[in-house]
Amino acid sequence: MENGNEEEATLKAAGAEPLPEGRRGVRIHGWEIESRNRSILNSLTYEQWEQKIQTSHLPEMVFGESSLVLWHLKSGIKIHFNAFDALVGWKKEGLPPVEVPAAAQWKFRSKPFQQVILDYDYTFTTPYCGSETIEKNTEHGKGNISDQGSWSSQWEDCEEKIDIVALASKEPILFYDEVVLYEDELADNGVSLLTVKVRVMPSCWFLLLRFWLRVDGVLMRLRDTRMYCAFENNTNPFILRESCWREATFQSLSAKGFPSDSAAYSDPNLISQRLPVVMQKTQKLKLPR
Amino acid sequence: MSDLDRQIEQLKKCEPLKESEVKALCLKAMEILVEESNVQRVDAPVTICGDIHGQFYDMKELFKVGGDCPKTNYLFLGDFVDRGFYSVETFLLLLALKVRYPDRITLIRGNHESRQITQVYGFYDECLRKYGSVNVWRYCTDIFDYLSLSALIENRIFSVHGGLSPAISTLDQIRTIDRKQEVPHDGAMCDLLWSDPEDIVDGWGLSPRGAGFLFGGNVVTSFNHTNNLDYICRAHQLVMEGYKWMFNNQIVTVWSAPNYCYRCGNVAAILELDENLNHKFRVFEAAPHESRGAPSKKPAPDYFL
Repeated sequence: MENGNEEEATLKAAGAEPLPEGRRGVRIHGWEIESRNRSILNSLTYEQWEQKIQTSHLPEMVFGESSLVLWHLKSGIKIHFNAFDALVGWKKEGLPPVEVPAAAQWKFRSKPFQQVILDYDYTFTTPYCGSETIEKNTEHGKGNISDQGSWSSQWEDCEEKIDIVALASKEPILFYDEVVLYEDELADNGVSLLTVKVRVMPSCWFLLLRFWLRVDGVLMRLRDTRMYCAFENNTNPFILRESCWREATFQSLSAKGFPSDSAAYSDPNLISQRLPVVMQKTQKLKLPR
Repeated sequence: MSDLDRQIEQLKKCEPLKESEVKALCLKAMEILVEESNVQRVDAPVTICGDIHGQFYDMKELFKVGGDCPKTNYLFLGDFVDRGFYSVETFLLLLALKVRYPDRITLIRGNHESRQITQVYGFYDECLRKYGSVNVWRYCTDIFDYLSLSALIENRIFSVHGGLSPAISTLDQIRTIDRKQEVPHDGAMCDLLWSDPEDIVDGWGLSPRGAGFLFGGNVVTSFNHTNNLDYICRAHQLVMEGYKWMFNNQIVTVWSAPNYCYRCGNVAAILELDENLNHKFRVFEAAPHESRGAPSKKPAPDYFL
C-alpha cells in the first residue's frame, strides 16, 4: 500500500494521474499514454489476419490485441503501435528470403516429387515506425484505435537530434512498459521480434520501437525507431522521431574479429554498436500549440 | 525409500540433483533407451504430451490434469528443454521417471534434444549457471542421442516430434535409421524431428529458409494408407488452443506448454487415448503466477536509450 501511495505522490507532483482501474498508463500534460499486453491471436483471428494481409504466413506469435498508444488530447493526434500495421508493412516491403547455413547441404538432397518452394520473407522484417491517426477526444475519452481518419503523416525531415544526454539523467520514471507486437522463432533458426518500450518522465516521454532479427549463422538486422517528446516546450511542441537501421552478416562480423556463434548475439543492446548503420533519419512532427 | 525414489521426490520439488547423481541416472537411462526401437511400441491407454520447453511448473499442472506416472501411461513427444527456466529439472524428472517406470513412460526426441540447438536456446547456459560446469549438459546431451525417434500406439497411431520425410514411406524405413548421433542437418532423421504440415501445399514444400520440409495433405494420406494408420500425432508447433487437427483429422498437433515463454497466453493440451483408442483432449492453463517462479508480470522500469 505504502508503495502505491508513494507512486501516486510522485505522479501527482509531476502533474500526472494514472489511468482508471483496469487500464495501464498515465495522463500527463495533455497526453494519454496507454499500453495493452494481451495474449497471442487465437487460430480463428489468426486466419482472418492472413486473409486481410493476403498472406499464407504470419509470425507464430502475433500479439494482435497488444498495443501502445500515445494520444495528444488537444489535437486528437494519436501515435500508436500495433502488430497489424507492422505486418502490412512487412508484406509490402516483401524482402527476398534469407537462406540458412543448412540450405547449402540441402541443395544436394534428392528432390521429392511435387516439390513447391515457398518464397515469402519468413524473417518478417518490417519498415514499420509507428502509426498515426487523428481521433477527437469525446466526452468519455475512450481510447479505441480506429481505422477512421487514417491521416497522412506530416513528419518532416529535420536536423535536431533526440537529446540522449537529457534522457540519461535519472529523472523518476512515472510510467514504464514493454509491449511485444510479434515474435517468431524462425523454426529454431534464430529470432524475429518486434517490441516497443516506453518511459514517461516528469519532463518528457520517450519510446523505442525495435525490430530485431537474428538468422543463426547468417545475419542480424536491427531496425530501431526512437520517439521523444518534451512537455515543457509549450510554444513550439513537437515529437522527434529517429530511425536507425543496422545490419551485418555473421561472416562480416567474424572477419572483424567478433565472435561468430549465435549464442554471443542474444541481446541486441549489447551488440548493436557492432552492426554497421545502413539507414538513419530524423524527423519531426509539429503539434498544435 | 530407494535413492531413485528420493531423487524423484526431490525433482518434483524442482530441486536439481547433484552432478554425480545426474551421471549415474544418465548411465541407467542409457541402458534402457538403447534397447528401444526407433519406432517404439506403446500400448493404450496412453496420454500423449507435446512440447514442454523447461516450463517445470506447467508440467506439474500437466501431471495434475493427466494423473501421476506410473498410474497414467505417458508418451512425451520431445522438446523437454530450452526456452523455459527449468530445463534441467524438467528433463531430469522425466528421465528419472523413465528409469523408475520404463514401461509407463516413453520419451522420444525433439529437435531441441540436440547439442547445437541447446547451446543457443537456453539449456547449455542453464546447466552452466546451475552447476558451474557443463558436465551435466554433456551427460544429458549424450542421453539425447539414445532417445527414440517415434512411437507407434497399438499399430494405429504414429507419433513423432516434427513430421514426415520424403525419404520415408514406411515405418520399416524409420526402423533402419542409426539414431545414436547428434541430430543431422538433413536426411530422414532430421526431417522426422523438424518438418511441419502445411495447408498451402498438397505434396512437399521446401521452406523459404532453404532447409526444412513442409508436407501437405496428400503426403499424409498416402503415409497413413501405406502404414495402415488411423492418424499421426505430432508436436513441434505452438497452437493457441493446445491442439489442432489438419487434413481431415489425419494429423493432429499437440502442444503442452501453456503461456509459452511466459507471455503468449495460450492454453496447452494433452491427448488421452483409452484402451479402445477413443481420444479426449485435456486442455489446461499455466500454473498460477506466484507458484511458477517466472519473471514478474510488471517489467522493471529501465532507463533504455
